[in-house]
Amino acid sequence: MATVTEKMEGKDVWIYHGQIYIPNTYTAGAVGSQFLISLRDKKKIMGTRCPTCNRVYVPARSVCKDCYGQLDEWVEVSDKGTLLTYTDCQQSNPVQPVEPPIVYGIVQLDGADTGIVHMLGEVDLEQLRIGMRVQAVFKEKREASILDIKYFKPLA
Amino acid sequence: MPNRLAIVGIGQTYHTSKRPDVNYAEMVREAVTAALADAQISIKDIEATFMANMETFEAIYLPDHEMAAEAGFYGKPGLKVGTGGTSGASAVAEGFYFVASGLFDVALVIGCEKQDCGDTTAAISAAATPMWGKGATTGAIGEFAKQALSYMKTSGAKEEHAAMVRLKADRNACRNPYAHLKLGLKNLEEVLKSPYLVWPLRLLDFCPQSCGACALVFASEKRAKKISKKPVWVADIETVHQEVFRAGVFGDPTGKETYAQNVACERLYKRNGITNPRKSIDMAEIYEPSNWEEMNLYEHFHFCGKNEGWKLIEKGITEIEGDFPVNPSGGVLATNPIGATPTIRVAEAALQVRGDAGEHQVTKDVKAAMATALGGPNWTVITLLKRSL
Amino acid sequence: MAKKKMKETPEKTPKQEPEYIRIKFNQPRRYDWSTGKYLGHFYAEAKENKKILGNRCPKCKEIWLPPTPVCPKCKVDMGWDWKELPQTGKVFQYTYLVFPLWDPHYGERWANPYASAIIELDNGFYYRHFLEEQDKEKLKEGMRVRAVWKEDYNERGQGPGDILYFKEIGKE
Repeated sequence: MATVTEKMEGKDVWIYHGQIYIPNTYTAGAVGSQFLISLRDKKKIMGTRCPTCNRVYVPARSVCKDCYGQLDEWVEVSDKGTLLTYTDCQQSNPVQPVEPPIVYGIVQLDGADTGIVHMLGEVDLEQLRIGMRVQAVFKEKREASILDIKYFKPLA
Repeated sequence: MPNRLAIVGIGQTYHTSKRPDVNYAEMVREAVTAALADAQISIKDIEATFMANMETFEAIYLPDHEMAAEAGFYGKPGLKVGTGGTSGASAVAEGFYFVASGLFDVALVIGCEKQDCGDTTAAISAAATPMWGKGATTGAIGEFAKQALSYMKTSGAKEEHAAMVRLKADRNACRNPYAHLKLGLKNLEEVLKSPYLVWPLRLLDFCPQSCGACALVFASEKRAKKISKKPVWVADIETVHQEVFRAGVFGDPTGKETYAQNVACERLYKRNGITNPRKSIDMAEIYEPSNWEEMNLYEHFHFCGKNEGWKLIEKGITEIEGDFPVNPSGGVLATNPIGATPTIRVAEAALQVRGDAGEHQVTKDVKAAMATALGGPNWTVITLLKRSL
Repeated sequence: MAKKKMKETPEKTPKQEPEYIRIKFNQPRRYDWSTGKYLGHFYAEAKENKKILGNRCPKCKEIWLPPTPVCPKCKVDMGWDWKELPQTGKVFQYTYLVFPLWDPHYGERWANPYASAIIELDNGFYYRHFLEEQDKEKLKEGMRVRAVWKEDYNERGQGPGDILYFKEIGKE
């Protein structure tokens, strides 16, 4: 993208329309990779459990927030859960995963002690209720990304 | 009068070019757990945490937020510091001021960077204002290239001397299990064969891009003596920010400007009664982004006279077995996770004072050591460490 | 000090090389920056009159480029005292890019090779810009150069980018 400068009306002040474009890579790490690979290969959602605090973290992470312990106990959690809260987004932004309108929700999957932020689908905003039961819908083609889960839909 | 404080725990990761097995937060945790294990305390004993990092590289806004649990911030006071290349040492300064104030007894200082996440030169070039930027920015490298040319002209140093600096750094790095670049270089010809990046800097003249983290535990005098049998006292610290150079961004090839390095070390020496640094201090871990800069810095820190920096390297005075060892860890030339590098300088200097540097421990007894940092356009932080106050 | 290793998950076989996921993020982030009135004045004079202007500190009389509202040395308000700088000078020092580094403002790699220099303008002021000469063998410290501007009025308005490069005098 070529940068463009634009002079302001009536003043010797210019606006420089530019960008910062630095290619970046995010490494998920060993634990993060296992979580994502399990979504891709097995359509299973995995968490890690802290034996001291008896908490299961989903998405899986390697450290317990409270006791600072290293987590290496893997637990499979259900693909069904409870909707803790939700909101909708009408504005478009390049960083969003899909085109708006998007309904985001925090879902606590059965077996997990944390909520996972994701999108809700196959439902209208008016039909959503806190406490609703929802289920993960996986994509056909998966790439070891959190978006391998397409969205959560209400359980009938 | 500030309260006395010491370094009681030192930890670092094994620095390397890529760490796909950990995410950024997990990498930092490795260094933190190592430091806590070295001090034999737990995260609960830490009262404040300070973190340093240059954010653009990982493209994470608020990295301290990302790693709050892993780095030990969770629920504790502290600060995140970003001062370009000096970030790691600025975090050391923060830890120093907080504990010296008497308000905190035990603090954790972390420097970290995961450079496999982005393009380093692009990130540094992004620091240049775009409205004036395109023209002379070639990132840090171009600026150091111009400094190298300047140094060659004024001091009479040759490309062979720069190659000798790289050989020293490589030899030392091969004795340091944590260092990144261990090339096993055997002679000057190998260094002089390396290709030019930005003339006259060769690939081997410059520091690598590493992933790594380093953590230090600071404790006030009363706690330090209980926690550690070999506390390393942080005697003094000085920070000086550089003003704009008229010619050049990271350096002044005209030789007419005052460098922050000179101002900082002169203030530090004066406050501590040091008139002959080579006598009062036993070794130094300096921040040298290129081998030419190392020779230049010897002069700025008054380890030798003007235009004589290259003589120190030629005579072997700055080797591990030498009269005044500089960078026995391999220095920045061997390991450079930017946010962590200045913290590593302090950590390595502290290891030398403790006598715990293993194979790269210098031959002479180290009672006092100096660690320096350099960042952006020559911002400087200098730390003085002593075995006893 | 041994490195801590993660306990292997039950699904992984011990001989397998672990797969690590890396997610690439290649989005440019758009910004609108204002030059403000000081740098804006430089831009205006460059576009309209092909002049290089610096501003002068009332206290130390130093000229600063890029123009600044506060003198970096004296810390006083610079006021509005402008001085036109000469467009010829000699190369004080140069460097030569060999490796194509990534330019974050354009999202592409620098064309290689190119030479950039610190030019000592005829009044003693140091200015940093490109050189036209691409051949490393022909570059010399002390060679006399002159600024070459973009001729098309509509193409100017990029501030220092309005000067294409500095060209060796005698080669016009």
